[in-house]
Amino acid sequence: MAELRKLSDSDRFNLMLALVGNLIDGAEYDVPELAKHFKVPEIEITNAVKNLGFIEINHHSPYGIDFDDLEDGNVALSFKEKMSLKEVPRLSARQASALAAGLVYLKSIPGLADTKEIETLQQIIASGFGDAKAPEIRINPVGIDLDIRILRQAINKGVAIKCDYQDNKNVTTTDRVIEPLRIDPHSEVIYLRGWCQEKQALRSFRIDRMRNTVILEDVKISDQAKQAELQDEIYVPSDSDVEVVLEVEPGAYGLMYDLKPIAEPVTVNKTSRRFTVKVGDVRNLGRLITRYGGAAKVISPEDARKAVRDFALAAINPETADTPKDAE
Amino acid sequence: MADKSVAKYKISKPERLFALTCALLYSKVGLSKHQILSSIPGYMNEYKPNGNNKTLERKFERDKDTLRHNGIVAEAVIPAHEDENNQATVYVIKKSEFVWPEHIKLTARQLALLSLAAEAWAGGSLSTAANKGIVKLRSMGVVGEDSDIAGIAPRIIEHEPNFREINNAVSDQRVIKFDYRNPNTGVIETRSLEPWLIQQLDGQWIVLGFDQKNKEARNFMLRRMVSKVTVAPNSAPFEAPSPEDVKKATDDLEKFADSQIAKLRIKPDTAAFFRYEPKLREQKSKDVLTLRYYDKFVLAEQIREYPGQIDVIEPKELSELVQAGYKKVVDDHG
Repeated sequence: MAELRKLSDSDRFNLMLALVGNLIDGAEYDVPELAKHFKVPEIEITNAVKNLGFIEINHHSPYGIDFDDLEDGNVALSFKEKMSLKEVPRLSARQASALAAGLVYLKSIPGLADTKEIETLQQIIASGFGDAKAPEIRINPVGIDLDIRILRQAINKGVAIKCDYQDNKNVTTTDRVIEPLRIDPHSEVIYLRGWCQEKQALRSFRIDRMRNTVILEDVKISDQAKQAELQDEIYVPSDSDVEVVLEVEPGAYGLMYDLKPIAEPVTVNKTSRRFTVKVGDVRNLGRLITRYGGAAKVISPEDARKAVRDFALAAINPETADTPKDAE
Repeated sequence: MADKSVAKYKISKPERLFALTCALLYSKVGLSKHQILSSIPGYMNEYKPNGNNKTLERKFERDKDTLRHNGIVAEAVIPAHEDENNQATVYVIKKSEFVWPEHIKLTARQLALLSLAAEAWAGGSLSTAANKGIVKLRSMGVVGEDSDIAGIAPRIIEHEPNFREINNAVSDQRVIKFDYRNPNTGVIETRSLEPWLIQQLDGQWIVLGFDQKNKEARNFMLRRMVSKVTVAPNSAPFEAPSPEDVKKATDDLEKFADSQIAKLRIKPDTAAFFRYEPKLREQKSKDVLTLRYYDKFVLAEQIREYPGQIDVIEPKELSELVQAGYKKVVDDHG
């Protein structure tokens, strides 16, 4: 999980500031509770409290802690001096701007929060930092105008949904039952991550391809679905995947991040980069590569090159060829 | 009980920064550099009373930068009675600038929304800043998850290697240099820019700023930068643009987009149709979509995702661009 990333020194300092702002003089807390609240590993809480206890300025310790209690997972901090910092700190300009941009993004997701609510938060953030200027980041939504409320209701209730779904091959299956787990809005597309009852596996569904969605009040989310671990990546590689070498120009550098190369990309010349990815079905490369109109190409294997060529050829002559194919 | 005085305890950087913050916040008249280095844990153990403390002084300078990036300003002040005597400089952190305004409180739902806003950056270049910000806000003590917000994981897609550098340059008002590829001619040229603002339009990250060579406000797409963005070391900050300048420049870009209109025929019951159906409905059109756009190359890419499903009615150059892209892909894979 992202929240359990390793903390830097600067993060740890930040956590110490947050802790003294949070803890009430003399009150008892337990480490797991604080770790959950701040979304950091428990050891980070223990270490931060220890650090506070060790600080001594001009022979005065601003904070008193009981080290034995701490070993047992209990935290009680006493503020011993006038100079015991206990206030909630302001945000830095960069912190404020990152949060503000995140809020702008949330605003663009339909049905998540009302605009007024987000605007209030934007004002709070703006008044909550001390520096003169926070860099402004504006995010103009691409026009995701689909309503996700029904899906969120189902997730909150822990029940399945039923919908008609159109796959990549323009084939619509009706009455597909999905146990919804999480909604992943990406910049251009919103995905529903869920357990597909038909395939008995985790799948990502594009919300723009779902129609006639209804909540199945009586179908509770199965244990199987609950236990399935959701990865952050929409596409999770498997052992049967083939290795494909791609070369990209700056316009298609995004592919280096989207496709998770198996090793660090190498520089071919001033602007081109080459990297290897694992692909489940080479037919899926057609759409992916053709989109860039030349800024990305497949170097090997040959059948992957052919798949892309066929896809682009079909795109030039849609009347004579079938609609370009790719796998699901 | 552990005895902190006996153990040879090495002061960690977070402790040193914290002690420094406390000391500068609570000293009545501020602390001189000498006082800081000789009395604050993390410096004092290495301090040489009559010797050369250059290394330690550099450490202090770096720490001040770290504090600043955390939103804490250690201000250098010369006391009034010392007349402009540099030797008398003391450092203080003003409490009013350090403390979160007391009257501003957050509800559990607000904190949950802000957490989501921070998580939207997960893995992106602002995730550290966003995370630190939210950790600070959590110190306001509100607990409890807002279940209404569970089950959604928004992500700001930001795969631009230069994003953080540019964002920092916007905040520090530093001129940036980069090699930029003109999409029309393919020519690569080095640019110097006073960056004002980063925005995402049509899913593309764009930096707006004052182009020093052309002497006017210009927009640059981050994905067309073909070099690393550099900031001249120790360069003076440029003068911040006026809000009017920024507004005029962003308005100009919107006006430009208003003047660029594409008409697309979308084939019914295809993936493209599903994608654009809400817009078609909005425009009360059966299959012809009218679309304003910022950049023809970006729109051509979006269209190429749906081969055989979108027919470009106009403009002609867009239709040609889409086709040229297909042809290039065929040639590249021949």
